[in-house]
Amino acid sequence: MVVILLLVLVALCVAAVLGYFGWRAVTPKPTSLPSPVIVQPTAAATAARGGKLVYGLTLAPSNIDPHVGASSELGIPLTSVYDTLIYQDVDGSLVPGLAERWEVSGDGLVYTFYLRQDVKFHDGTPFDAQAVQFNLDRIVDPETKSQKAKGMLGTYDHSEVVDPYTVRVHLTQPYAPLLDAVSQVYVGMVSPAAVQQWGADYQLHQVGTGPFIFKEYVPQDHLTLVRNPDYNWAPDVYSHDGPAYLDEIEFRFFVDPAVRALALESGDADVMGEIPPQDAARLEADPEFRLIQVPVPGEPLQFFLNTEKAPTDDQRVRQALIYAADRTTIAQTIFMGFSPQAYGPLSAVTMGYDSATEEMYPYDPAQAEALLTEAGWTDSNGDGIRDKEGQPLALQAYIQGWGYLPEVTQMLQAQLKEVGIDLQVQLVAYPAAMAAANSGVHHLAAMVFSGSDPSILNLTYLSANADGGFNWSKVRDAELDRRLTEAVSALDLGQRANLYLQAQEQIMDLALVLPIRDYVNLNVSHARVKGLQYDRRAWFPWLYDVYLEQ
Amino acid sequence: MTLRTIGQRLVVAITVLWGVATLVFVILRLLPGDPAALMLSEAGASAEEIAQLRADLGLDQPLIVQYGQYLLDLAHGDLGTSLYAHRPVVTVIAEQLPSTIGLALAAMLIATVLGAALGIVAAVKAGTWIDSAATTLSVTGVSVPIFWSGLLLIWLFSLRLGWLPATGQGGLDHLILPALALGLASSAAIARLVRASLLDVLDQDFVRTARAKGLREGMILFRHALKNALIPVVTIIGLQFGFLLGGTVVTETVFSRQGIGRLLVNSILWKDLPVVQGAVLLAGLVYTVVNIAVDVAYAFLDPRIRYD
Repeated sequence: MVVILLLVLVALCVAAVLGYFGWRAVTPKPTSLPSPVIVQPTAAATAARGGKLVYGLTLAPSNIDPHVGASSELGIPLTSVYDTLIYQDVDGSLVPGLAERWEVSGDGLVYTFYLRQDVKFHDGTPFDAQAVQFNLDRIVDPETKSQKAKGMLGTYDHSEVVDPYTVRVHLTQPYAPLLDAVSQVYVGMVSPAAVQQWGADYQLHQVGTGPFIFKEYVPQDHLTLVRNPDYNWAPDVYSHDGPAYLDEIEFRFFVDPAVRALALESGDADVMGEIPPQDAARLEADPEFRLIQVPVPGEPLQFFLNTEKAPTDDQRVRQALIYAADRTTIAQTIFMGFSPQAYGPLSAVTMGYDSATEEMYPYDPAQAEALLTEAGWTDSNGDGIRDKEGQPLALQAYIQGWGYLPEVTQMLQAQLKEVGIDLQVQLVAYPAAMAAANSGVHHLAAMVFSGSDPSILNLTYLSANADGGFNWSKVRDAELDRRLTEAVSALDLGQRANLYLQAQEQIMDLALVLPIRDYVNLNVSHARVKGLQYDRRAWFPWLYDVYLEQ
Repeated sequence: MTLRTIGQRLVVAITVLWGVATLVFVILRLLPGDPAALMLSEAGASAEEIAQLRADLGLDQPLIVQYGQYLLDLAHGDLGTSLYAHRPVVTVIAEQLPSTIGLALAAMLIATVLGAALGIVAAVKAGTWIDSAATTLSVTGVSVPIFWSGLLLIWLFSLRLGWLPATGQGGLDHLILPALALGLASSAAIARLVRASLLDVLDQDFVRTARAKGLREGMILFRHALKNALIPVVTIIGLQFGFLLGGTVVTETVFSRQGIGRLLVNSILWKDLPVVQGAVLLAGLVYTVVNIAVDVAYAFLDPRIRYD
């Protein structure tokens, strides 16, 4: 027995040593904005039908009903189960989905959708205007307790069935992001009959109109989809028509990031999302695998700078923080070049991104020091930390353990020390970090938000959200409020874009945020997986076009 | 052990569970973080939407009202509804439980068999190199964290050798690696105790008598010494069960298995209060039952032990 155990121990040690060297054989990539790797499927004739794909997800969603839950992990599988009224192509253009065409009234208060007449839910019931009305009303019903879809519908008031295949959506106020919202899986069309049959358990028995049928969901373990043989209404974003190629897709959850690459390599999964950068670098070099980098629109990894707490209430101190942070090095070192440096409150692939912010704060420690000195912070006692009226320049940063925040903050700490700032890091659980940021005890608080519409800025910079919302820089600026509010209801695209450009420049001018890096979703697929691409939100794979090379 | 004693034990157990229920209720509310804000954090939401959801969830009620409602529901056997899943806590827990119980029992089996074997060999060969090797192994087993040993086991047995599946649920083959990772750590503690306890017993007069009678060494060890040496070991196995339950959290995460451990951690991080309360109460219940079982086992192993 001892001998066997000793052998196991020795084997473990050998494995440790080999594993260590194996995992270190990686090279950093140059920092540049990765364009999404789109693997165009070859002609449908060569695409093989059949086979099962195992897709690795990260966190298991607690609620997987698209109208209720908010997690990306529910959208990844359900994108194949549900169709949306409108689809958004990877270039951002809107194309018909379940709605053949749509009209917006001149005052922006009424949206009319003309629906396809040949669509059936997986349970055989027809898709029609009543179903659309049912879906939208379900989302805003307080009983649904929607975490995401309800907010996405904005100023939705009610819908009106004009005829069996025409539905009119009425808003209380103009709301420009509506079309973007109805193109997302969270506003996907569910079968009214199935919802009425299952109630709260609908999430375990979902029925849509999409290319795959929801077969089975075992919470925290797996979710299985099978091909919908009747699917014949694919939107133009896809590359073929008719039923999907794959017979079956099984989604499984790989919570531990360290295990994801191992699971791919041992054949437990064919595709895996959110691969850690060091594993991504290793697998990228392996011809058996393909790395698919998808930049995520929305707000980058960033630190909100509290404008209501001294000393970050001084604009010069906030600006100094941005000048002193060498974000290129952070992106290069910690994210191994897979993530580009972030420059402003929106990531570079977000609609309405302002590239002018890229010139605003070059890495310039000298400028940072000048600003701090101007603000009265000097190192009077020679301890390396600046001080003013006997108080050292010490700042509190509240961070959580995920997203490489501890590593990022550690590098930031060293960089800020160079200019005489003492960054004190509070590493706490997510709820505690949020509570701290809400109550305003922080100087810096970290957060990422994803979303394809720039209206995400409203949640983090409107003064109405400074108390009890996500406005963690606690900015209360009438001009910024006006720009953001007008932008949400502006129907003219040019006017809207202009308002967001002004808002982004104002946010950076006021130095409300220290942007670190644009989030890039690192997916790895086995090389035999063909035709895989991701939608504009960067999280959701279009598995309808995917086939397995024989 | 009489029925009356068992009855007394049950009264104590119920009091303990009430204490656990109250404690977890209080602690969860002392921890910072607002469930409504957390629920809306992934999508982002306005302050108004957060306040609305908080009211919808009944979290704006005074704490004492919430506590009263919670106890009232508990008395009716109702653990409440998950804030996120919108499903009964009992259901949410019940569907994760079999997987965790299977893992914990398999790990316990491995821990006990390995630990006992290692401990016996070390005690019998006390002072030799085999003893030192076994001790070294025990120390290593206790020191190596599961998240590391688990990764190495996957790397070796799944990736390099291809003998066993790396992750997930399924047949017995899916259970071996996680049970081994979890069991190894516990086996070390058991091995050390078996060794010490057995050495103690082997030193006693009745063993010398047995040897003097000319009994074979195997007979002495397995027939006479081991039964006496096992009493403290039963205690530690009972205690290790709590450790194993805790260990399932990491094991389930590393091996991508479903289970109560992962459910609990997730629910704590996202402040799904009813689920945390339910799961902690369940853990308290299991622990209490195991402890009563250990007491009963004592009485069986050593008739001198009486509880009244």
